[in-house]
Amino acid sequence: MTLGNISLTLALVLSVAGVLFLALGMRWDRADFIRNGYYAVYGFFLATVVASAVLLQAFLKKDFSFGYVAENSDASLSVFYRIAGFWAGQQGSFLLWLLLIAVVTVVIALLDLSKVQRLTAGAVMVMCVIGGVFAALMVLNEGSNPFVPAEAGMMPFGLNPLLLHPGMVLHPPALFIGYVGLAVPFAFAISALLLGRADKMWVNLSQKWAVFGWLFLSLGIGLGAWWAYVVLSFGGYWAWDPVENTSLVPWLTATALLHAMTLYKSRGLFKHWALGLAAATFWFTILATWTTRTGLIQSVHAFERNPLLVWILSGFLVVTAGASIGLMAWRWRRFASHDQFDSIVSRDFMYYLTNLLLTLFAVAVAFGTVVVPLTMEKTVGASTYDAIAQPLGVVVVLMIAVCPLLAWRKTEGAELRKTLILPLVTMVVSIPLWLYLGFQSNVWGFIGFLVCGFAVGAVIQFVLRSARRAAGPGRSLWSGMGRAFTGSRTRTASYVVHFGMILVVAGLLGSAVYKQEETAIVKVKKGETATIGDYTLTYMEMTGGTGPQNSTRANAVFEVSRDGASLGTLAPHTEIYPVSGAAVRAVILGSPREDLFVVTDEPFDDSSKTLALRMVVFPLIQWVWIGSILLCVGAVVSLWPKARRQEQEARAASPADEDGELGGASA
Amino acid sequence: VNKKSRTRLLIATGVIVVVFVIGVVFLVQKQGAYYRQVSDLTSGQYDGKNVKVGGRVIDGTISRDDSGVHFEIQDLTGKSDTVEVSYSGQMPNTFESGVDVVVIGKYASNVLTADQLQTKCPSKYKGSASPAPAAQTQ
Repeated sequence: MTLGNISLTLALVLSVAGVLFLALGMRWDRADFIRNGYYAVYGFFLATVVASAVLLQAFLKKDFSFGYVAENSDASLSVFYRIAGFWAGQQGSFLLWLLLIAVVTVVIALLDLSKVQRLTAGAVMVMCVIGGVFAALMVLNEGSNPFVPAEAGMMPFGLNPLLLHPGMVLHPPALFIGYVGLAVPFAFAISALLLGRADKMWVNLSQKWAVFGWLFLSLGIGLGAWWAYVVLSFGGYWAWDPVENTSLVPWLTATALLHAMTLYKSRGLFKHWALGLAAATFWFTILATWTTRTGLIQSVHAFERNPLLVWILSGFLVVTAGASIGLMAWRWRRFASHDQFDSIVSRDFMYYLTNLLLTLFAVAVAFGTVVVPLTMEKTVGASTYDAIAQPLGVVVVLMIAVCPLLAWRKTEGAELRKTLILPLVTMVVSIPLWLYLGFQSNVWGFIGFLVCGFAVGAVIQFVLRSARRAAGPGRSLWSGMGRAFTGSRTRTASYVVHFGMILVVAGLLGSAVYKQEETAIVKVKKGETATIGDYTLTYMEMTGGTGPQNSTRANAVFEVSRDGASLGTLAPHTEIYPVSGAAVRAVILGSPREDLFVVTDEPFDDSSKTLALRMVVFPLIQWVWIGSILLCVGAVVSLWPKARRQEQEARAASPADEDGELGGASA
Repeated sequence: VNKKSRTRLLIATGVIVVVFVIGVVFLVQKQGAYYRQVSDLTSGQYDGKNVKVGGRVIDGTISRDDSGVHFEIQDLTGKSDTVEVSYSGQMPNTFESGVDVVVIGKYASNVLTADQLQTKCPSKYKGSASPAPAAQTQ
């Protein structure tokens, strides 16, 4: 056996040992057993590090005797892309996932080594089970094992040229880090259920992990969309493909989970929701793997079908669902909320609605992606998902808008009317902007943008109100502004995230509802033109060049003008790879107002007589990227460790902090 | 008061869930595309319906004009049936004569007007441990 396989087998054995020690230690409340379990976890971690190092080393040293390395790399690639080869295929992805599980598990165990709490031990045990399943997958199933030797005479394939992009290099690890981060709340939820600990301890211990997982999942989805937009050249950023859908589903439930955890901690509400969402989020991450890796669902990117893999992953899904549902049923009464629900016109209800709608949307997407194709001999396409997602997106922004205007528990009418003024003002002020952008052409879209305008006012209003309160009576509003932002990290994060979400939804609406698309056959002759909207493209010349992986490139250079004013040149091109053939590449002329996206429908070279040009205008698409960055910034703000002094201040201030936050209670 | 609020909450939840489920089921019924073979289309049963079919692009049938691309695809189950496809969206990079494609769209009067066209995934994604499955629809 090779070192790689020995390490994987060792990782499997040690994870099983960890599970046994931790289970017994937890059952009998024996600190020494739990500690031994943690030691097994360290071993499990070291074994996966060695296995990963072997594979990484093989990529760095161009050791093509590994079948997996030969399939996903070649000698011409730069170090950056050779490292990326690690997770370019199924086997390496599983190993990366295993490594990340091991890292997170060992961190949790290390942090608990001095305290040895049963609750944490239970969570580490669940993480070990998950790690064990992945290790077993690689050990038992040859098709998932990255250490299988190359067949004799196998030539290195190189990396798929489509994957040669920084967005695609970082997208898989970001997604996996997200998945693993979101396994932690699940692990703690199961532990809390096993021990019957209905207090908020499990939430305290796993909330940061949930935010961390959510951050990386958001980042992963955003990078994937960006890559699809600039590299795949299909004229969009989201195709509602099974691969995309199955990563969106856990993101939706994780978003709901963050909201449920907040109220679980501050008020003891939504306990069943928090447990259920933690379990569902994890389950959906495994479903994502099941969907893409087993090949049962037709997808552009699906991997080949593999019976043993199907059995292991399907079994894991069934066991996870069964265990979660069984445990929740067993402990249902103990986890009843100890606070009452008072009124529909309250912030409590908005949180409830957030959970409900995000969950329904997640279930609908999963239903359309997995259940419909498997049971109804049908598939649902982009138009169906759009028809659900667009109105729901507007409703979500409406909730973001309304939530801070309402009080906890119950809202008085007079109070509500006063808080409505600023949002109504920003909504009216935003109208000229939407008219200038021409959005009156679609009534529903226009209503969506009015809601966005309203929501911006609501977020500003909320910042102002916090500042007012922080300033105290008789002092100017501005003196409280600093405190409004530094007082509580979760509150600051919620301003940023919710503002980012408004931008994302506005960008999605703009680029989906108001997208313009034109095709034209252009003769290869200087001065030939094609138009879309106010843009005119004039053909200039054909130039050649070289691209990555020994490819040659043909550029069709166009001069772009808008209403007669020149904006520069754009050169959609074709790249011809020696191994994988020709690929067309899009070019984008971007601005905050709109992107002009230009690509040819067919590969071309300097002997082509015509170009099949496709031009797409995506209004506001950059808002999606800016908004996504804000989502991540917000999550980073809430994760940023507090200075000791601030922590004390926050603790002293929190009981008086009646109003709470937009999206989070004080820490 | 609490009991009344609770009832209201349950009613609100019920209404939202029911409306949502009806909406989703309606959309799937109306817009979902039947997964069929090229040879199934000739029966006339799917006229005016959304379908998803796989087929092989026949040599020499690809033509292009301002309205998009037109080509014919051959049944993949060994039958001799073909169907004409018309498509105006973005072409996948690997599209050419002889490749297997999956098209989704409305079938009417012997032409499938596709709003989605996918070529079968590049061989790059297939592992080497077991032979790649035949490019085949389910």
